[in-house]
Amino acid sequence: MIEAKNVSLTYKDGTIALKDVNLKIEPGDIVYITGPSGSGKTSLLKLFMGIEYPTEGELRVLNLPMTKKEEANIRNLRKIIGPVFQEFKLINGRTALENVVLGLRFLNFSPRQMIEEGKAALIKVGLGHKIETLVDHLSFGETQRVAIARAIARKPAIILADEPTGNLDIDNAINILDLLISLKNKDTTVIITTHATHLLEDINEGTFIMVNEGNLKVESRGEA
Amino acid sequence: MKNFFSNLGYFIKEAKTIFRVDFLSNIFSILSIGLIFFILSMIFSGWEISNSIVEVLEKEAEINLFYDENMEGDKIGLLIEKIESIKGIRGASLINEEESYHRMVEILGKEAKILELFDENPFSPFIEVKIQIEEIETILNRLELLDGVEYVRDNKEIIDKMKNMITILTLVGILVIAAVGISTMIVVSHIIRQGIYNNREQINTLKLLGAPNSFIGLPFLLEGMFLTIGGGVLAFILVAFLINYAYGQIGNSLLFIPLPNSKVIINDMLIFILSLSVTFGIIGSLFGLSSAKND
Repeated sequence: MIEAKNVSLTYKDGTIALKDVNLKIEPGDIVYITGPSGSGKTSLLKLFMGIEYPTEGELRVLNLPMTKKEEANIRNLRKIIGPVFQEFKLINGRTALENVVLGLRFLNFSPRQMIEEGKAALIKVGLGHKIETLVDHLSFGETQRVAIARAIARKPAIILADEPTGNLDIDNAINILDLLISLKNKDTTVIITTHATHLLEDINEGTFIMVNEGNLKVESRGEA
Repeated sequence: MKNFFSNLGYFIKEAKTIFRVDFLSNIFSILSIGLIFFILSMIFSGWEISNSIVEVLEKEAEINLFYDENMEGDKIGLLIEKIESIKGIRGASLINEEESYHRMVEILGKEAKILELFDENPFSPFIEVKIQIEEIETILNRLELLDGVEYVRDNKEIIDKMKNMITILTLVGILVIAAVGISTMIVVSHIIRQGIYNNREQINTLKLLGAPNSFIGLPFLLEGMFLTIGGGVLAFILVAFLINYAYGQIGNSLLFIPLPNSKVIINDMLIFILSLSVTFGIIGSLFGLSSAKND
């Protein structure tokens, strides 16, 4: 599903974000990417989404080479990725449902399906009662859930969640993490980045990637 | 295409939102575009009215042929027969002094009193020759060769002047259309770029979610069309009002000018302005979108 061979990423200003990364993520995996702030976690997700391209090595996502040349195909690839951005990237002035449906409008859903899938996703994240509420009026945790609902409503092959627990209190962070873990199935790979390593201590299943100064250390726990 | 129709409501709603975000700039743009289209409409209506007058004049083209006044009745009849045999002539008839006088009384209307100053009828008899305008050169040459013909008065000069005016109006019209096109596209593309800048975060999110450029750009295209169609409607209201007013003023005092029907002019104007509005709206928006994409 995702395969990186000797991938490095150096930004234009010379900052080395990732060095000689080798990894393989299989369909249905749950992957936790941890490490301190600025270690390269978000850079890795940016590579997976085609926001940045490897400066060295070869990266393939769903067998598509992530290179500038494949820009048009990468745009299409994003249709089967469910991203949950660190800063949510929801549209203010729109309801929770409108935000979720927006992510479905250019996929092959009929107008009725869009509404149904949007509502189902919001119910799944526990926001069935806030469907028509403007996102501006939601709490931080609720906004985070709308962002997750937008990702899962698309029925993606990969869910990429960048620091979904950041800035949340411990209870909300655990709830969000449990929600994301519950989304993993044989068709959906879930990749979560977090700097809050203490939240992962009790998790005994999945692939754990520790990023430190651009270097990766991979550890597998349980069946995954 | 399926996505376009299922998302049409969304596109219109988005376009309205983009419009509202920069409301004042958009209103001023509509006013500017309206005034630009108004200037164009004035030139177009002038061109259409002149063209229509020339067409009427051409259809009713006639030549007045003055003959030797000593000519007798039989010879005049023979002359008329000869005239009618010339190619391009639709008919010829004798207009005597009295009819000449009465025609002038009709043309002058209230001013006909001036004719009472003459002791005798000042008008001469003449032969009125109806012609096909495209044959005018040949006809004039042949008429001048006929015996007894003293003077041929034609309307060619007036028609030529009208035609020259139309040529000038057409040239000015083309230049104005080009100027209007460029100005409208600059205004629209600037507004679109501004809209894209104001919505850059939303656009970026949509890109990250995999939205195609056509999906992202369509609301902006619609916004551009709102602006130009809004301007077009404004220009149409102004020009329709002006045409009706001008017809009310000129039509009553210049009855002998064969003005075309004002409703026809106004209908043509509506089609002309709306077609241009939509065309310039689409081109201007696409230009704005492509230039923003290149930034």
